[in-house]
Amino acid sequence: MMIDRIIGAAALLLTAVYLYATTKIPTLDIGDPLGPKAFPILLGIVMIAAAIMLFIETSKAGPVTAKEAPAESRRHLWMIGGVTAWTALYFGVFDAAGYLVATVVYLFAMMAVFNRGKWLANVLTTVLWAVGSYVLFVKILGVSLPAGLLKF
Amino acid sequence: MDTLGHILNGFNVALMPINLWYTFLGCFMGTIIGILPGIGPAAGIGLLIPITFGMDPTSALIMMTGIYYGAMYGGSTTSILINTPGEASSVMTALDGYQMARNGRAGAALAVAAIGSFLAGTFGIVALTLLAVPLAAIALKFGPAEYFCLMLFALAAVSSLTGKSAAKGIISTVLGLMVATIGIDLQSGQPRYTLGVPELQDGVGFLIVVVGMFAIGEVFSNLEAHIKGKAEIIRLEGRLWLTREEWRRSVMPIIRGGLIGFFKGVLPGAGATIATMLSYTVEKRVSKTPEKFGTGMIEGVAGPEAANNAATCGAMVPLLTLGIPGSGATAVLMGAFIMYGIQPGPLLFEKRPDLVWGLVDSMYIGNIMLLILNLPLIGIFVRILYIPTGILLSLILAISAIGVYSINGNTLELQMALMFGVVGYLFRKIDIPLAPMVLALVLGGIMEQSFRQAMTISDADPRVFVGSVICVTLLILAVVMLLLPVVLPRLRALKAGPEDLDS
Repeated sequence: MMIDRIIGAAALLLTAVYLYATTKIPTLDIGDPLGPKAFPILLGIVMIAAAIMLFIETSKAGPVTAKEAPAESRRHLWMIGGVTAWTALYFGVFDAAGYLVATVVYLFAMMAVFNRGKWLANVLTTVLWAVGSYVLFVKILGVSLPAGLLKF
Repeated sequence: MDTLGHILNGFNVALMPINLWYTFLGCFMGTIIGILPGIGPAAGIGLLIPITFGMDPTSALIMMTGIYYGAMYGGSTTSILINTPGEASSVMTALDGYQMARNGRAGAALAVAAIGSFLAGTFGIVALTLLAVPLAAIALKFGPAEYFCLMLFALAAVSSLTGKSAAKGIISTVLGLMVATIGIDLQSGQPRYTLGVPELQDGVGFLIVVVGMFAIGEVFSNLEAHIKGKAEIIRLEGRLWLTREEWRRSVMPIIRGGLIGFFKGVLPGAGATIATMLSYTVEKRVSKTPEKFGTGMIEGVAGPEAANNAATCGAMVPLLTLGIPGSGATAVLMGAFIMYGIQPGPLLFEKRPDLVWGLVDSMYIGNIMLLILNLPLIGIFVRILYIPTGILLSLILAISAIGVYSINGNTLELQMALMFGVVGYLFRKIDIPLAPMVLALVLGGIMEQSFRQAMTISDADPRVFVGSVICVTLLILAVVMLLLPVVLPRLRALKAGPEDLDS
């Protein structure tokens, strides 16, 4: 399977970066005899072994088990990419805009896409949820959430 | 008998009104979490840890454990009614449970799932009670070298048993161990892999990874499934009880499922999911009409449901007695212990018998509560399934934001959780199991410390790891575990059932 080769290669690349970073850890003559580098180096070796194991597994399996993702799944990947970007934006303005404002906008757009057409239900859940969870967590459970634009 | 006194005293703790309340709350939330798609026990416990901070540890842990075993009950409901297992360990239940529901026997399927779960769960707790004391006594003799070998064995078992490919399991494990090395090294005080980011000095927060991979990543996977198509909910009809004939057919599968489940649960890596598969296979093999499996056989519901609840209790054995969890969900539970400053393991039985036995004894009570929640009250819980998926999944993302933000009030950690969510989503796509990574992340720190302590004691002589019978046995077992996926398929060419074992 093509994807497994990529996984193996990615694991090797990651290990290379990790081992390079390991060499940059300064060692002092205090602490235990092994120091902070030994265990990470061991991990690097095991990872390389696992990647080789994966290459062997892949070559054994042959093309029989190959299942390529159908083209329509591309669209889903775009969709998930969009949700990721939107969520990253939500988290990015979380502090500045505050929990209430950010959450209302975030949830409303999410529901507009994934629960299409049910405007009334979406608006109601969004507002009730945002206010309800804010009161529950901040006022009752004492969890700190950013107030941001709205202060109350 | 000191131990018996401790066990009985545990009931005093478990029966305190406040703890009864938290047992109930845990079981209640567990049932909901089990029913809800997009959120499992691991994510549920992870999200609750920061919120319950400051609570009495015993009460908090009673509640979290309640969520863990409660979710096992709830998971069967979705399998039976909408053919969408809420948890991986309910996949086998869906095979015959959903068919029973389509044949108008939804009530009987739910009833046998609840009763089977209750009986096997109670058996599991008795077995846990009996096994915990001798095992903890053995574990007390473990030194750092033995502990290192034990963790190696646990990780090897989880790597090779939770996915389709042992290599991918190992990659996932090592990735978790690598993430665990980020932060200030405890023995030398050197920062490692922090890239100069101050937030990384304390390491990558365990909860960030758990919420990311198990809540956000799971929601992404569910969103994708949601865009692709919809599941139809079968209305609950008929009496929630079994006919005499159905009861007669269920007794033996429940007993067998309970035994299989408990022993599979104790072993690391095997866990609830494999226990249910094994139970289903066994029931099919001993049945006189194996060809009818998949068309609504009650044995196919009773066995696996009993197995997964007994496995949940079994999985508590290594967690409590050795301090070594064997699955993703118990790893998160161990994370909860540690956040409360409590190190599970043999010493805990000496230092805090009230906590250990209060927790174990609360499980007896929780099981009774779950039977009530899942039989007479199941009609209320089923309504959760009518919440539109698009709304539900969006809300889970918002809850994840609260959960992560409440740890340190840091939005960088929110972005990190999102990153782990994307990683979790991709790992599901490319069949890399998540459980080994989370387990490795929890164990990573302790594992490196015991490795280095053992080497310090032996003056950097690696022969310390083959210096005792326990070490050698564990190392051999670890190798056997890694070879198992290579050898097993050749031993048995016949194997049925889905292969998604990520629990």
